[in-house]
Amino acid sequence: MADLTTKYLGLSLSNPIIIGSSGLCASVDNILDLEKAGAGAVILKSLFEEQIMMEVDASLREAYRNDMIYSAKSESLDYIDLHIRERTLSAYIELIKEAKKRLMIPLIASINCVSSAEWTNYANRLEEAGADALELNIAILPTDENTGADKIEKVYFDIIEKILSKVKIPVAVKMSPCFTNLAQMVKRLSATGINGIVMFNRFYTPDFDINNFSEKSSNTFSAPSESGNVRRWIGIMSSRVDCDLAASTGVHSSEDMIKQLLAGARAVQVVSAIYKNGKEHIQEMLGGLHRWMNEKGYNTIEQFRGKLSQDKNENPSAYERIQFMKYFSEIK
Amino acid sequence: METISDILKSERQQAWRDELRKSMKAKERTSIPRVKMPEQDPHVRNKNHSEVNLGLTDEMAIKEAQRCLDCVDPTCITGCPVGINIPKFIKRIEQGEFLESAKTLKETNALPAVCGRVCPQEVQCEANCFYVQKLKKDPVAIGFLERFAADYERNSGNISVPGVDNKNGIKVAVIGSGPAGLAVAGDMIKWGYDVTVFEALHEIGGVLKYGIPEFRLPNEIVDVEIDNLKQMGVKFETNFIVGTTATVDDLRKEGFEAFFVGSGAGLPKFMNIPGENYRRIFSSNEYLTRVNLMNAANPDYDTPVFSGKNVAVIGGGNTAMDSVRTSKRLGADRSMIIYRRSIEEMPARVEEVKHAQEEGVEFMNLNSPVEYFADEKGNVNKMLVQKMELGEPDSSGRRRPVPLEGSEYEVKVDTVVVAIGVSPNPLIPASMPELEVTDWGTIKVDKDTMQSSVEGIFAGGDIVRGGATVILAMGDGRKAAKGMHEYLKSKVGKK
Repeated sequence: MADLTTKYLGLSLSNPIIIGSSGLCASVDNILDLEKAGAGAVILKSLFEEQIMMEVDASLREAYRNDMIYSAKSESLDYIDLHIRERTLSAYIELIKEAKKRLMIPLIASINCVSSAEWTNYANRLEEAGADALELNIAILPTDENTGADKIEKVYFDIIEKILSKVKIPVAVKMSPCFTNLAQMVKRLSATGINGIVMFNRFYTPDFDINNFSEKSSNTFSAPSESGNVRRWIGIMSSRVDCDLAASTGVHSSEDMIKQLLAGARAVQVVSAIYKNGKEHIQEMLGGLHRWMNEKGYNTIEQFRGKLSQDKNENPSAYERIQFMKYFSEIK
Repeated sequence: METISDILKSERQQAWRDELRKSMKAKERTSIPRVKMPEQDPHVRNKNHSEVNLGLTDEMAIKEAQRCLDCVDPTCITGCPVGINIPKFIKRIEQGEFLESAKTLKETNALPAVCGRVCPQEVQCEANCFYVQKLKKDPVAIGFLERFAADYERNSGNISVPGVDNKNGIKVAVIGSGPAGLAVAGDMIKWGYDVTVFEALHEIGGVLKYGIPEFRLPNEIVDVEIDNLKQMGVKFETNFIVGTTATVDDLRKEGFEAFFVGSGAGLPKFMNIPGENYRRIFSSNEYLTRVNLMNAANPDYDTPVFSGKNVAVIGGGNTAMDSVRTSKRLGADRSMIIYRRSIEEMPARVEEVKHAQEEGVEFMNLNSPVEYFADEKGNVNKMLVQKMELGEPDSSGRRRPVPLEGSEYEVKVDTVVVAIGVSPNPLIPASMPELEVTDWGTIKVDKDTMQSSVEGIFAGGDIVRGGATVILAMGDGRKAAKGMHEYLKSKVGKK
């Protein structure tokens, strides 16, 4: 029987399926169900800096509408953002503590941050609560025309430096694919001392409702077709980086997972497929991986992991091809 | 039915008021500049604990009272949470009838000497004064005049004790002896109830005693007002923690038929930044309570507080100002306010900020601590402070403080006081699971009656608002007393 275990961020996983940071991992009961269904690890729902700020605004509006909550002269109201952040963080810490009491698989905490402000100070409290590792979901949309690329990139390194100085548990960075020189950025990030990079963040994309002239959200779930770019970059970078790589976005089937492992990923993050097909889908994906490994004669994941990465591929230039030459110019 | 507005109008039409109005032209009145409150010299007062404001003389008070135009529509009253008949008490001062003025104050306010000292008048009655609204001039100094009348009465020895109705034998319990509880007690005793106030600490007065320093509100002033309530028949039980010493159910068995919960917000909040647990980092509650109530400024006492030389106080509210000014009086060379917004956004009373500046407090606005460090004994010895800038406004319209990346710098400190707000006291809600509370732990009440989700239990002040002013707490207390009175009347009617 094939051994599906893998190592990610130095943690031993019973298999490469990690349930990505999402509402699926927002309660202890759900997390325990995911473990029972066969997940190799879980990443808790992210603590969102942006979400906390929205809650602050809602609380302020409510407080000013109803002075029975807070009077305008109250010092508590003056620092309400800190208090809301603390309340959210305390609830998150409780979630980690409760889950850790009952969970056997690794539990990874996740912070979604857009700045290196005081937010990073909370990392060691997540560590103290018992998180096995920390995933930093750094999501910066560069909309400010006055801010240069170097300044934006520096935020990544500042956050990492601060976090690494605070915690001893492994740290992974979930990054965006939008960099002018992605290879260099990935390489530089991997050299900071972090233990893993997750490729890639999937951004919320606004859409329009043309009948009501309003904004609406576009596809909430990923599609398997979105995994191609992730596969490319894992394939290009897996042999060049100083840390583990995990694939995220578009991993819906055992075949998607196998491809990412062949590209060099140590694990895959799955969310949309579980939302669409239920927790039972984990067993289907693991069954598929198992069957494929048996068919190909592999006993362990390490025997084939990275087999099709750029450096081991017979046609390394394929990774760098960006035009469909065969279709458009008949040149293969 | 006669409305409040009708009563105010008919009182305004009384002959003495009419005569007084005619005694001086409006133009003459408006040309008088606002009175300046005599104060101790800043360099003297920052070394003692005596009251900073010295109070108006009779002449100053009369002159200031002359500024009041005795408006047909007294908008100032709408700004007062307890609805004091402001023109009437001021005109009594102008008339020289200071004791009558004090009596008017006591019709609606159980603690006039307190409110005259600690209310944020600039955003309440004075903000609604005709001078501000229409003339764009300094408002009539309503707060100073309130204090004057109350002090005059106290010093005269002719303290009026408001009359009370015949005893009805119905027992009501007031939990907490802060401003909300005292206001409830004052009204309920007037209406003939048998009122007992239960106080957890050894002193009566709640936040008025433990939270506000002597130099702003002398304890003696509070004691006189409490003594007044005692004379009216209110009973006080100190060192009695409802929820521990006895539960609400225990008290019900003893015959109490209605309860007012005014247990305040005594749980300090912290920023939860690294190093905040080091020694000599205090909550403002602890710092002020120890100095105000436990004589901790006296090194000969059992529990003296450390008198730091470099003291940083975090926050921009009244508690922060009280703490930083206290540190100055305890001998600090450098007393700093570290506030993350600018001075315009500070929630503290304008007068407290002014006094603190005069006394040599250093205001480090647009700064926020990010980490504390300690010596080998665990005593805080420096802090890392980050500079801030003001970003986009939040939904309250105030600009959000935004950290300036890379702007951190170190400040040497040996004492830190954190004054960024408090949480409601959880004891009563914890001992009564049926009592509905908000996400913030405050008790949910009906806004009109102040009744909680449990019949016969009313609440007000900080336990409902999460942190308010003395006068708002008193306003809640008065509203709750009315709600409780109606509740008990209907209960008796049903029997």
